[in-house]
Amino acid sequence: MNVNETSPADPVQEPLPECPTPAASANPAASEAKTSRRGFLKTGGMLSLSSLMGAGALMTKSDDALAAAEWGEHFQKNYRLMTDAEKAESRARLERRYSEEYGKAVTVDTTDPQPGVLMGYALNVRKCIGCRRCVKACVAENNQSRGERPGERIEWIQVLRMERGEFSEERMNDGYPEGLGIQVGGNAYTPAGQVLEGQYHYQPDAVPEKDATYMPIACMQCEKPPCVKVCPVRTTYREGDGPVVIDYNWCIGCRMCMGACPYWARRINLTTPVLPKEAMNPVTHYLGNRPRMRGVVEKCHWCLQRTRHGRYPACVEVCPVGARKFGNLLDPNSEVSLVLARKNVFRLKAENNTFPKFFYFYD
Amino acid sequence: MKKSAFHTTLIALLAIGCGVALTACSDHSAPATTPAAQEQAQPGQTQPEQAQSAQAPQEAKEVVCFESRKGASEITQKEIEPGLLNVKCSPTTGAALWYGDPYQDTMPMGKMPLLDNIPDDKAVVRPRSEHLNLLPLCGTSCHNNTLPPDARVPPTLPKNNHPAPIPTMEGMLPEIANLQHGRGRIWCLECHHTTQRNMLVDHFGNPISFDQPQLLCGKCHGDKLRDWRDGIHGKRIGEFASDGKKRWFVCTECHNPHNVQDGERNRGFIQLQPELPPQLPHGMVDASHETRHPIAH
Repeated sequence: MNVNETSPADPVQEPLPECPTPAASANPAASEAKTSRRGFLKTGGMLSLSSLMGAGALMTKSDDALAAAEWGEHFQKNYRLMTDAEKAESRARLERRYSEEYGKAVTVDTTDPQPGVLMGYALNVRKCIGCRRCVKACVAENNQSRGERPGERIEWIQVLRMERGEFSEERMNDGYPEGLGIQVGGNAYTPAGQVLEGQYHYQPDAVPEKDATYMPIACMQCEKPPCVKVCPVRTTYREGDGPVVIDYNWCIGCRMCMGACPYWARRINLTTPVLPKEAMNPVTHYLGNRPRMRGVVEKCHWCLQRTRHGRYPACVEVCPVGARKFGNLLDPNSEVSLVLARKNVFRLKAENNTFPKFFYFYD
Repeated sequence: MKKSAFHTTLIALLAIGCGVALTACSDHSAPATTPAAQEQAQPGQTQPEQAQSAQAPQEAKEVVCFESRKGASEITQKEIEPGLLNVKCSPTTGAALWYGDPYQDTMPMGKMPLLDNIPDDKAVVRPRSEHLNLLPLCGTSCHNNTLPPDARVPPTLPKNNHPAPIPTMEGMLPEIANLQHGRGRIWCLECHHTTQRNMLVDHFGNPISFDQPQLLCGKCHGDKLRDWRDGIHGKRIGEFASDGKKRWFVCTECHNPHNVQDGERNRGFIQLQPELPPQLPHGMVDASHETRHPIAH
């Protein structure tokens, strides 16, 4: 804004270039200083003019909710530093913009963590049939980009198909070297029980397939999240009730968090997200499923817009086999607490000391 | 086969007479009745009627999606508020993908042992009996204590537990010809009530509603009942708090009671068509690298 204020002084300096070359001063330093000052003011004037033009372009369309909202969004604080009034202001701004953009009444919730709730998640890997319904339910709920061009289709849940290995009687005595039977169970050239690395793009006619197991992977909502540690702008953080969230407005898209996450849980909007109006879910949360902009990172947040109001996350509700369980870890009678108490539980990559609140279990 | 087909046609005729839409949403009956009846319907007048009844839902463009397993409970898409659907269905597989109203068409689950302390409005189920198309016939058309006019022998209760094949029944439910559930150790009347054929039966001979199959299944599968009661087994939708309102999915919404283990597969849940895979990374033509073993063999 200081640059703007110098602009009235600019016309005073304007005639100067038209003058003949100024007389050489006795002090060359002063002359240099003078020209540099003039140059500075000139550049400043140009700059201020261009910025004024930009601002004018925004201001002349001040009726336009989109422009006004974007103008205000540029100057809002990090969500964690906002006062309640600022949150309300930001919320109203976003609701206005989204409602106009998507042609329906969009609500942006700012509900805080509920007292006495620490969310936890459990998934029965034995039951999962790999139908990917959770993946699509997540997309239906959380306003991900669903375009067709590269990078425009974003899904937060990945379902990993894993082979159980191939063991056959004919190859039981494969040894190394051939026929000597030193290494029972195959050799370096013809190994027995070899499995694939894991498949994300499997597409059979029907699941579950014989000799395959499925493992859905999404954000683990770690208690010590590596993504939070590396974020240079501190826009991603752990909320009081457990989930790790992102203030999309402060994300600079540096993708440090994507590199730090050991669970491949984060996605970036490389392009402007493609979100059809009719498919957009109008019930949103500021830290959750509100429509994202280009160049920000997003990830699973356990459907904050639902769970803060007591509803199950969308993936839990559609799982046809009931493999997904969600609940309050502080409540000993919740489904997750009972799973932890009774079943065989493990956490993915526990050796990383990320302490996920997402548990895998089996009967 | 001819006999059973004849009986099937008979049943189909009966059903049309009663005004029951056999094709709309079907549990076990549809695979047995409609294709067989349509293929082999000899009387000329039945076929157009059936065709009409089959086409009626398509013309209205109703979107119906199945909830857990295909062939069990289904839900019709509708707008509950302006801009808010009760359910979103998958365009690929026809599965329910998103619930706007998790409590649609539900009723209180009813009291169960060890669940007496749950208030009635907190645990709800979607009644199964409305979706079992043959059930309304069971207590009225055949097992209604009256004899069909052409019956030569009055029906008697079986003398032992070795069921004689009944073509009418097998025509309606092909799965019962070689009942897989129990691997030959149980028969019809372990689960179905002897005299009230539209009811199930508990260990004491008391009738159980088709809406509460958990009371029946728990007779043998006690461990599963316990886990289901605690919310570890099975599916629930609604509020996640342990005292929140939930819709409980009952046993038969996910498992086919006559063929729980799906024959040779020996798994508790049938196979489904999966949803589409994720987008390929930029520049990747296909995902064949995933199916190649690192070391050829």
